[in-house]
Amino acid sequence: MKRLGIISLFVLLFIAFITIWNYSYQTGLKDAYIPLENEISSPKIPSEAGVFQRSEYAFDYVNMPVDEKHQRTLETYYDNRAYHGAPPSIPHPVKQEMSMGGNTCLQCHQNGGFVQKFNAYAPVTPHPEMINCRQCHVTQNTETFFTETSFVKVHAPTAGIHNALPGSPPMIPHSIQMRENCLSCHAGPAAPKEIRVTHPERINCRQCHVPNAIEYSEKSVFSRNNN
Amino acid sequence: MYTSLTNRRKFIKKMAMLSAMTAAATMFPGILFADEQEKGLPDGDINWTKAPCRFCGVGCGVLVGTENGKAVAVKGDPKSTVNKGLLCVKGYHQIMCLQAKDRLTHALVKKNGTYVQTPIQEALDLVASKMKETIEKHGKDAVAMYTSGQSTIPEGYVASKFMKGAIGTNNLDCNARLCMASAVTGFLTSFGADEPMGCYEDIDHADVFVLWGNNMAEMHPVLFSRMLEQKNRRGAKIIDFATRTTRTSMAADKSILFKPQSDLAVANAICYEIIKNGWVNTSFVEKHCSFNKGLTNMGYGLEDNYKFKDKPEKIDFKAYKKFLEDYTPEKVEKISGVSVKDIKYMAAYFGDPNKKVVSYWCMGINQHTRGTWMNNLVYNIHLLTGKISQPGNGPFSLTGQPSACGTAREVGTFTHKLPKGVVTNEKHRRLAAKIWKVPYERIPSKPTYHATEMFRAVDRGEIKFIWTQVTNPLVSLPKTSRYRPGMEKDSCFVVVSDVFPTPTSDVADVILPASWHIEKSGLYGNSERRTQHWDKMVEGPGETTPDAWMTIEVAKRMGFGDLFPYSEENHVEEIYNEYRQFHEGDKHGMAPLEVLKSQPGAIWPYVNGKSTQWRFNAKYDPACSNNEDFHFYGKPDGRAVIWQRPYEPAPEEPDNEYPFWLNTGRVIEHWHTGSMTRRIPVLHKAMPNAYVELHPKDAERLQIKNGDKVKLITRRGEIIMPASVNQRGIPTPLQVFVPFFDENMLINDLTLDSFCPISKEPDYKKCAVRVEKV
Repeated sequence: MKRLGIISLFVLLFIAFITIWNYSYQTGLKDAYIPLENEISSPKIPSEAGVFQRSEYAFDYVNMPVDEKHQRTLETYYDNRAYHGAPPSIPHPVKQEMSMGGNTCLQCHQNGGFVQKFNAYAPVTPHPEMINCRQCHVTQNTETFFTETSFVKVHAPTAGIHNALPGSPPMIPHSIQMRENCLSCHAGPAAPKEIRVTHPERINCRQCHVPNAIEYSEKSVFSRNNN
Repeated sequence: MYTSLTNRRKFIKKMAMLSAMTAAATMFPGILFADEQEKGLPDGDINWTKAPCRFCGVGCGVLVGTENGKAVAVKGDPKSTVNKGLLCVKGYHQIMCLQAKDRLTHALVKKNGTYVQTPIQEALDLVASKMKETIEKHGKDAVAMYTSGQSTIPEGYVASKFMKGAIGTNNLDCNARLCMASAVTGFLTSFGADEPMGCYEDIDHADVFVLWGNNMAEMHPVLFSRMLEQKNRRGAKIIDFATRTTRTSMAADKSILFKPQSDLAVANAICYEIIKNGWVNTSFVEKHCSFNKGLTNMGYGLEDNYKFKDKPEKIDFKAYKKFLEDYTPEKVEKISGVSVKDIKYMAAYFGDPNKKVVSYWCMGINQHTRGTWMNNLVYNIHLLTGKISQPGNGPFSLTGQPSACGTAREVGTFTHKLPKGVVTNEKHRRLAAKIWKVPYERIPSKPTYHATEMFRAVDRGEIKFIWTQVTNPLVSLPKTSRYRPGMEKDSCFVVVSDVFPTPTSDVADVILPASWHIEKSGLYGNSERRTQHWDKMVEGPGETTPDAWMTIEVAKRMGFGDLFPYSEENHVEEIYNEYRQFHEGDKHGMAPLEVLKSQPGAIWPYVNGKSTQWRFNAKYDPACSNNEDFHFYGKPDGRAVIWQRPYEPAPEEPDNEYPFWLNTGRVIEHWHTGSMTRRIPVLHKAMPNAYVELHPKDAERLQIKNGDKVKLITRRGEIIMPASVNQRGIPTPLQVFVPFFDENMLINDLTLDSFCPISKEPDYKKCAVRVEKV
């Protein structure tokens, strides 16, 4: 009898344990389940973000004195390209043939600065996020041709003629693909002097300068469809 | 290309000088922009005259260069405190639209289906006789006038005097109903006085800028550049709170995206956090605020003759606190898609007593079926924390049109408004009657049609004569697929005054050739209550005539000549001086014309020769009279109202059949319906046509590439346009964005004409659409 009592007590305790354990497990599941709505993540727009990329240096550019002896010109800028819009070639010897851009090229070309060895300011790349530099930029190791070529360089835009009105902000005469970051070429000591901006502190460039994108639109003048 | 404005030799000469100056300027980088502009331009025989810019509500000061009677150049006015010498691409090239070949130079009257060039005097005779005949046959309320937030102050004033004082009908409304009405009702319900309390100088003092659904980098670029300068110089923070990733998001310190319509919930959640964390400025709230609630479930105005009147009811702080318990950040996260963290992040900036915060918003909040509520909610945040009416602290409602404030709101070219007050108020009617010198009984006391309802009434055949000025409703109204056939009906005689042919002038019976901006004198009022005057600079072509003068001529022909005793040469000045009488006093005093002529504008209240930059703050505003630091004198008890406004869903939300949200808006290159900016070659080339922006993931799922043709279908119509993926902007997933400037791709044929029941402003930002690859 005594034994039966003890057994039934344990059975009762065991059943109670099972129920409580089950109950708490179930509510725990319920608590754990919060139907989470996905937070909307904010995407990047490459062509828009680029404009503001170097803007933190805008005031440095304002205060930088001009080193007239070491200015680049638009002529040398274009000379270094096969045609207008082509990736520039590397006009100086390269030490490490096997290294990636992050370790070598970007040391000078990410933020620029004076390079004693070449007696020039390093141009700033508009796309430092792409580090396989030599995928597009190659050195020139010979002056000769394999065979003669009749390739003619496309006429490149010159500075100072892109205003629609006297004194109005010039339009952008070139494609901005891969060159969304205006300040990298238009500000700082390495900027070709003809295209160096007078007001690098105004960083929303495309507030005033819009692409002269004749290649994208068939008609350069608006005409109405109807009538 | 654009046509040269001067002869070739002069142009080359100028360009040579210019490039020499540019070259010189490159040697001295860091030169001040304004100085450079003053010195560095070919000044020779160019005559520079000041004016406000023709385009947006920012109201930049421009200097227009004229030579031999032609406008040849534009530069920013360095003396203007608004823009300090900087403009945007539209502003710099604005005068180029004048050279467009299809300029309306003579009146055109439709005879047997074709337009016949008619002497303007004859055309005005016809307009007057048609108007008279319609009134005789069908009554005063059968004629209507629809004007603009781009009308000058004198243009709006004579339109109001003509319709309400002379004819005696309230059938006058304007396109500002489509953009600013919710801002107005927001100000009136919260403060009892329209227009922002602060000014643009707030930008120079604020630590944090919160942009509520406002792509300022493209829409208010000059102000945005001022903000960027403060961000760079002082480390001011820009928070972009929006439903679309834009150029603004790219420049901002933080971009927070929310689901359309859920801004109501997020704003309430911020208030909840402010109260929960004890960030309430208790002494400010106790002294200067009261609490109200209004009606809910108001509907959306989708049916004709929809009527609504809010019933404000006083509540106490406890009840308001209880109401906010529905808006904990955790609950709101589920409605809005904004993380709890981001809600707390925003609330913390508002709550920090050491941070000065300015909120900016424009169409995102105003074009909203709960636009008035949303305006109230932003004020709630600033009132609870006491961050208002101080340099660098305050809510600032931006405007889209150059004189939405100056003309539409201050002159009152709305059906319910008078130059001072509203038609329903006897005192206000008596004042108007006295100044206008008309019998007081003539001004009707009941408002009639607001913009959307006005065009519904045209469609229903109730309005039999309508005259539109300075606006292009058949591109800018919502659901033009209904209102275009409505305007085409023979039951309504349509008169359109404009500078260029538009889809609206296409349905006109008479087209009147209007003078453009600098071909007439005028006054505009910008977002910061700044009134600006300009003088006529060039002669308009053909028989073009200022809109105000055309209204006066028609009024004279209808026998109201004695009410319009103005001279043609000097009418702007005479009208402004008459109008000023309405606002006398230190709450709204307007600057005298001599002052406005001598400087780039003045901010009202203009008291004792001084602009009032911050209203309701006793330190700056002489109208404060309660011997406290602040006085919200617009309300009888001197207290601003904190409103209990809940979240309610949009009238048409995406479903299985129409799974996307459709959002519409502008781009930096074009201004509104593009009738001017598309005729400027620089701008047209940069942005030749409209497009539909998709989220890259949606585009991928639908196999749509950038440039592919895409069909958009709503319950109101369909349209085919090129896709834009990863270009100017990225909408949130399951949302598409289309700019509305393109008259060849009329997106407003598809939009819904639902509106805010309090302000009657349509919501262009939300309706359901299906997207198909063509």
